[in-house]
Amino acid sequence: MLWIKNVRMVDPSQGISAIGDLLVKDGRIAKTGERFSEEDVLAVLGVKKINQVDQVEGQGKYLFPGLIDVHVHLREPGQEDKEDIQSGTRAAVRGGFTSILAMANTKPVVDTRAMVEFVRHQAQRAGKARVYPVAAVTKGFLGQELVEMVDLKDGGAVAFSDDGKGIQSAETMRLSLEYAKLTGCPIISHCEDNNLAGQGVMRKGEASARLGLKGIPASAESVMVARDVLIAGETGGKVHIAHVSTKESVWILRAAKKLGIDVSAEVNPHHLLFTDEDVKLTNASYKVNPPLAGREDQEALLEGLLDGTIDMLATDHAPHTWEEKTRPFAETPFGINALETVLAAVWQELVLKGKMNIEKVVQLWSVNPACRFGLEGGTLRAGTPADLVLFDPAWREIITAESLESKAQNTPFLGKELQGFPIMTWVGGKIVMNRDHN
Amino acid sequence: MQWMHKDLLDIDNLTAQEIEHILQTAVPMKEVLARPIKKLPTLRGKSIALMFYESSTRTRTSFETAAKILGADITNFSVAQSSVSKGESLLDTAKTLQAMNIDLVVIRHTSSGAPEFLAEWLTAGVINGGDGQHAHPTQALLDYFTIKDHLGGFKGKKILIIGDVLHSRVARSNALGLKKLGAEVTFIGPPTLLSPEMKYLGVKISYDLDKELPGADAVMALRLQLERQQSGLVPSIREYNRLYGLTRERIEKTGKPTIVMHPGPMNRGVEIASDLADSVQSVIEEQVTNGVAVRMALIYLMIGGGTANVVD
Amino acid sequence: MMEGTPKNRIMDEDGIRRAISRISHEIVEKSKGTENLVLVGVRTRGVPLAERIQERILEFENVRLPLGLLDITLYRDDLSMIDVQPVLHETRVPFSIEGKTLILIDDVLFTGRTVRAALNALIDLGRPHKIQLAVLIDRGHRELPIRADFVGKNVPTSSRETISVCLKETDENEEVLLWEKL
Ligand SMILES: [Zn+2]
Repeated sequence: MLWIKNVRMVDPSQGISAIGDLLVKDGRIAKTGERFSEEDVLAVLGVKKINQVDQVEGQGKYLFPGLIDVHVHLREPGQEDKEDIQSGTRAAVRGGFTSILAMANTKPVVDTRAMVEFVRHQAQRAGKARVYPVAAVTKGFLGQELVEMVDLKDGGAVAFSDDGKGIQSAETMRLSLEYAKLTGCPIISHCEDNNLAGQGVMRKGEASARLGLKGIPASAESVMVARDVLIAGETGGKVHIAHVSTKESVWILRAAKKLGIDVSAEVNPHHLLFTDEDVKLTNASYKVNPPLAGREDQEALLEGLLDGTIDMLATDHAPHTWEEKTRPFAETPFGINALETVLAAVWQELVLKGKMNIEKVVQLWSVNPACRFGLEGGTLRAGTPADLVLFDPAWREIITAESLESKAQNTPFLGKELQGFPIMTWVGGKIVMNRDHN
Repeated sequence: MQWMHKDLLDIDNLTAQEIEHILQTAVPMKEVLARPIKKLPTLRGKSIALMFYESSTRTRTSFETAAKILGADITNFSVAQSSVSKGESLLDTAKTLQAMNIDLVVIRHTSSGAPEFLAEWLTAGVINGGDGQHAHPTQALLDYFTIKDHLGGFKGKKILIIGDVLHSRVARSNALGLKKLGAEVTFIGPPTLLSPEMKYLGVKISYDLDKELPGADAVMALRLQLERQQSGLVPSIREYNRLYGLTRERIEKTGKPTIVMHPGPMNRGVEIASDLADSVQSVIEEQVTNGVAVRMALIYLMIGGGTANVVD
Repeated sequence: MMEGTPKNRIMDEDGIRRAISRISHEIVEKSKGTENLVLVGVRTRGVPLAERIQERILEFENVRLPLGLLDITLYRDDLSMIDVQPVLHETRVPFSIEGKTLILIDDVLFTGRTVRAALNALIDLGRPHKIQLAVLIDRGHRELPIRADFVGKNVPTSSRETISVCLKETDENEEVLLWEKL
């Protein structure tokens, strides 16, 4: 039993953004509304004494439906030195994420039902965030034979993706979009043409020329975005474009949506927060795939999010060990550690600077992902699971290796102070993170 | 003028004045090279580690000679014989060097930024002996020395850098400093080897060598790796040579006693004709001598005492 | 520049001129002429002194002796102990010193370390028959077994004192001062 009071509830699924109270009973949201009296609470929750109800004062804070991140690399099984499902889900709830989609590029890859079930069981054991496995599209990520999509879906997979690399064969992509219709699940496409990307380690442009680093042209992404939306249009398949980073991809998506193609897309906040000009030779935290792009791309991505061309935010949380990232830039793996810092960074850099309002952030990071991937949550509607985040816009924290729940520390915010953090997170009405009691 | 840097990683953190200071210090060093006894006690007891993760006999020998003349002790970590090839990380290598109390490290590496990486971890000075496609500051400095020696200075001098600019740390580092010193730099090559983003350097970009030649005071040919043909970057060596190969006839178009430079090693008959490379206009051999003098100057400035004012 | 207070003027312009004149005569006298003689000034203030000696000898012997400039920075043994790195200048000895009587010229002889460095530098340039040392001031406190062959003036000093030689070519004034260190 839970009573959160006096809090600014943000729930774009019902068009709510107002101060009020929320009640939780039996793991589900029981009722929301303007300021309840003790009698109301006792009546709704069906208890006799108010001390049977946990009360949380929410003045000055926000309450969101739990955030849903559709792009997380949990690394288990096989690379538990980078992250495991325990540490990754602890990091998720600390960052305000109650549900995450776990990518399939583990060792071995998630391409069998047993693997999907393993991931789910590990997540249940950890007892933090809900974890929805994404299964591979092709067996062993080899880009050839399709996985047993129907069996994998029955085992709990919610989408299919060879994320980590692009599916180079257009025919394989076509067949996967066709076959996935049996499951109703989207194919998540990591758009990267290996020939164009070559040995590149950052976006090709002036910054890469200045740093003498091999460049990846923007077309390495956009040509595959174009390919995949065209194939989706032709087949009637359901595609989700992961980590869109270029302005050309945005205009292809805009055109595709106008044509009614069943496509959705995500942007990683680091592409809104940084550009290729931020890349430093000695800090591989800025080495991500797709690589940080230019200022114009950044503006196009933001515009795409605001006008609905792009449907959601997603972290692409990609933990790597300190040793792997502490090398010359070109020799380090791609990826950024994001779950625990990303909401604060978005709050500080986008919301406080007036580029995006908080309602839009919740729409993009909770409502839309739930809708696209058919997940519970993404709303504060009565009767739905009580996946909740209490967000304190004034909470400040210096990001340190010790403070992170994630095993990795490959974040550009290391040593820096950020403002605006989730202070309590509930999954199914159960408190899974409380910053006060850390 | 006081030397203020712990490391030399690229030309961009040097001022024009600092570059001139290095060039001036190299003048007495070149005098030493002309002596019968080429040996100084200056750096007796100082130790220099040469770490070449990419083979380069020329650059390594040049540094080694410079260090030996100055009397320093040299430790060679060549890839073949050290733990480098056994997969020891650069970080561990750095820690080993730190423990050995090395005074100066010269590193050459295929990865851009490896010298920066090492410099962050070492209290010893680091000289970049060439990293990836990033920088080759000592090559640039020896080129400046050679240009100044022949042209008297840099202001308004027209310098052409020709060829595989895309993969060339030499072109990049050279342009950075030449601009600071007041020269006009033009990069010339086929579009596949010369991307427009190089304009950030403030250089002129051109695909037409013959058009740029008139008035050039110095022309520098870059080495064309023969693999570029297989990678599809140039259709043939024949066509490359036809468009960008330096020849005696071509060089006459400058209408000046232009000097001809090459960072070496040359592909005779590809980017430069043999007779031009051996002609009086060619300063390619002097570049090698000047390389030792400039590296001596740099090593002296970095570890030859008086380091109380180092700021970075 | 010098920190402290000047205590004493040891030489004025005339004094310097007379001392140089006397050293010039002594050099020629000791070598029984100018044959085989070469002059090498130690940078910085040994150079104008050597030039003046060259001029004087030209006046009374009508012979212009070869003159070289020596920068001993690279031969100093105290490089790692000093705060401010000396700016390197060219050593220019545009003649062979092989078999010559070489007069090494400096302003002040103190510990002998500069001379030691200069001797090493000279030996790297060739093998002279003989090296002799001429200085304007000998202030004592030798740390090496080195002595001057020609001395403008012997000035016994305490270790708390320093000497500064000022010459028109390198400084504004022309005098030798004794300072008390702070
Ligand atoms: Zn991906």
